[in-house]
Amino acid sequence: MNDLPPGEFPIGSENDIVSARRIIRNAATALGFGLTDVTRIVTAASELTRNIYVHAKSGIMRWRSVHRGSGVGLELTFADNGPGIPDVAKALQVGYTTGTGLGMGLPGSKRLTDEMTIQSEVGRGTTIVVRKWLPT
Amino acid sequence: MKREVKTKANSPAAVLGSQESYRQLVDSVTDYAIIMLDQDGHVVSWNPGAERIQGYTKREIIGKHFERFYTTEDVRRGLPGQDLKNAAKIGRVESEVLRVRKDGTQFWANVILSPLRDQEGTVRGFAKATRDLTELKRAEETARLASTYNRSLIDATLDPLLTIGPDGKLMDVNGATEAVTGRTRQELIGTDFFDYFTEPERARAGYQQIFRDGSVRDYPLELRRSDGQVVSVLFNASVYRDEAGNVIGIVAVARDITERKQAEARIQQQSREIMELSTPVMHVWQGVVVAPLIGSLDSQRTQQFMERLLDRIVETNSPVALMDIMGVPAVDSQTAQHLIETVSAVRLLGAQVVMTGVRPAIAQTLVHLGIDLSGIITRSSLSAGLQVAFDILEMQVVPKDKRL
Amino acid sequence: MPAESISVIKLRGLLLVTVPPDPDDTTVSALQEKVLQAMVQHESRGLVLDISTVQTLDSFFARTVVETVQMVGLMGGRTVLAGMRANVAVTVTQLGLSIGNALTALDVDRAIELLDAEASKELRL
Ligand SMILES: Nc1ncnc2c1ncn2[C@@H]1O[C@H](COP(=O)(O)OP(=O)(O)OP(=O)(O)O)[C@@H](O)[C@H]1O
Ligand SMILES: [Mg+2]
Repeated sequence: MNDLPPGEFPIGSENDIVSARRIIRNAATALGFGLTDVTRIVTAASELTRNIYVHAKSGIMRWRSVHRGSGVGLELTFADNGPGIPDVAKALQVGYTTGTGLGMGLPGSKRLTDEMTIQSEVGRGTTIVVRKWLPT
Repeated sequence: MKREVKTKANSPAAVLGSQESYRQLVDSVTDYAIIMLDQDGHVVSWNPGAERIQGYTKREIIGKHFERFYTTEDVRRGLPGQDLKNAAKIGRVESEVLRVRKDGTQFWANVILSPLRDQEGTVRGFAKATRDLTELKRAEETARLASTYNRSLIDATLDPLLTIGPDGKLMDVNGATEAVTGRTRQELIGTDFFDYFTEPERARAGYQQIFRDGSVRDYPLELRRSDGQVVSVLFNASVYRDEAGNVIGIVAVARDITERKQAEARIQQQSREIMELSTPVMHVWQGVVVAPLIGSLDSQRTQQFMERLLDRIVETNSPVALMDIMGVPAVDSQTAQHLIETVSAVRLLGAQVVMTGVRPAIAQTLVHLGIDLSGIITRSSLSAGLQVAFDILEMQVVPKDKRL
Repeated sequence: MPAESISVIKLRGLLLVTVPPDPDDTTVSALQEKVLQAMVQHESRGLVLDISTVQTLDSFFARTVVETVQMVGLMGGRTVLAGMRANVAVTVTQLGLSIGNALTALDVDRAIELLDAEASKELRL
């Protein structure tokens, strides 16, 4: 299992969502995740970058490997200076949307990853961190 | 002899007073054999200490040559004569040598031989003080043994053992520590203890805990070897104090649990393999896979089962999957949820699940849990399920026949 | 992947559309547009969406598919999703997405068989 150099990628256009998916596919594969886990991680990244693009216009995605004892994981951060989420608990409910979506993105990403933290301040922006650990 | 003692009376020994009081003093000494020899080495005086140490009574020994106190080897080498000559020449000869008792046993002795001279300076005889060093030697040997014992005990300890000063620097390490760190004692001693761990902060926290609580047990840390390899260890450590009770350091024993961890990983690997074995997905017929689930289903296992089942369906291009839950002892809502998810995922692929082996107890639980299985084809037995599978396949085959 | 590169093939009264491996949102939207036009143009009775090369299926994609299935249904056709990869199916399920009342098939061949069977069922009714 190789280690992974950290990196970041700005999100500002619709096309960046596709690029973000490719980047994360490579990163997760390099770190040693199996195909199904790669698909889970990439799908979560797709949801969270789209949320930036749709709800906050622009932001940034960062990635790095994380360690816990002998365990290795991938950590993705999605940060923006958009409108923020007034009620994070509500936003995590399946079907809750302020847009035209299905309201599946946030709750789905939480299920697809092992850890998710959301920090958001109305008018300031949103930072979402997800982690997925390699199976031991 | 008397003359010589008289001579002696003129010497500094005279300070001791009369010849009588001198003899009383000499007689009272039992830790030393104090004797006098004539110029040629014959015994002319003998004290109780001499009798105690060397075994001869005064009557036995007076007039005998002192070479009998030497080992045969030393006599053969001519040492008795030489010692007298040296004493006469140098003035005083002190040596630690092996001597022989009356009973033939040998003992380690400190011997001081000094010449006795008359007023003209001519050597008239010799004074000889012998101290039995057996006890001292034994004590020394014990001490030496004890320290070698300690050292070898430390080194023989298969586990890395180390002492750390209050400043966090390594004070001493044993061979096992050298082995586990890949660094020599010289390299290690005096360096910072914390630097050898993947998480120096955790090491420091553990160290502080020892000072606070007096000890730690099974504190897990990871040591980084000089070659970069990481070794998992458990530390047991406690403070040690000087006689006044001040803490002067920490003694720590590390247990290398890398092997144990590897063994655990092997067991995990094996149990994973067993798990896979216990959820085989068999391609029993063209277009049909059968997956008998046996044993209790936790989330992880169901997840893996789901992935395997889906892979096999795609691999074998099978539109029907029989999922037999006869061997599942109990189903809770969590498990049921996973099973329903599996069914949905299989549908997405373009295949169908037929759930078989639904025992009465499981059917009851599912109903009581309010789990809706209405969209899922279920049958009580695997054979009934197979029949359904053939029906499904035939439904797809029939139109083809019609086209022919 | 430019939207123009999506191929829509007419086949025995059916439409066969191959979805590219990693489509962006524009492509996905364009795909819907193209499919609906072709449905009208060829008076097709069904649609096969070949998604066998698709690596990621997220909520936007799923939503578009569900919409398309509904629209095609309103135009009298049935839609079959063909060849979804196993890992994509696991992820889609875990994400909680549904594909509405689209039919599914293991591959394009079986999708066509399925649409044929559906058609003959309707004929029998
Ligand atoms: N980065 C963000 N900035 C501001 N609001 C956000 C952000 N991400 C999510 N939200 C809010 O949380 C809600 C739920 O997000 P979620 O991704 O679950 O659904 P959605 O984006 O509306 O639809 P879907 O993702 O299913 O297409 C959004 O509708 C939006 O109000
Ligand atoms: Mg969203």
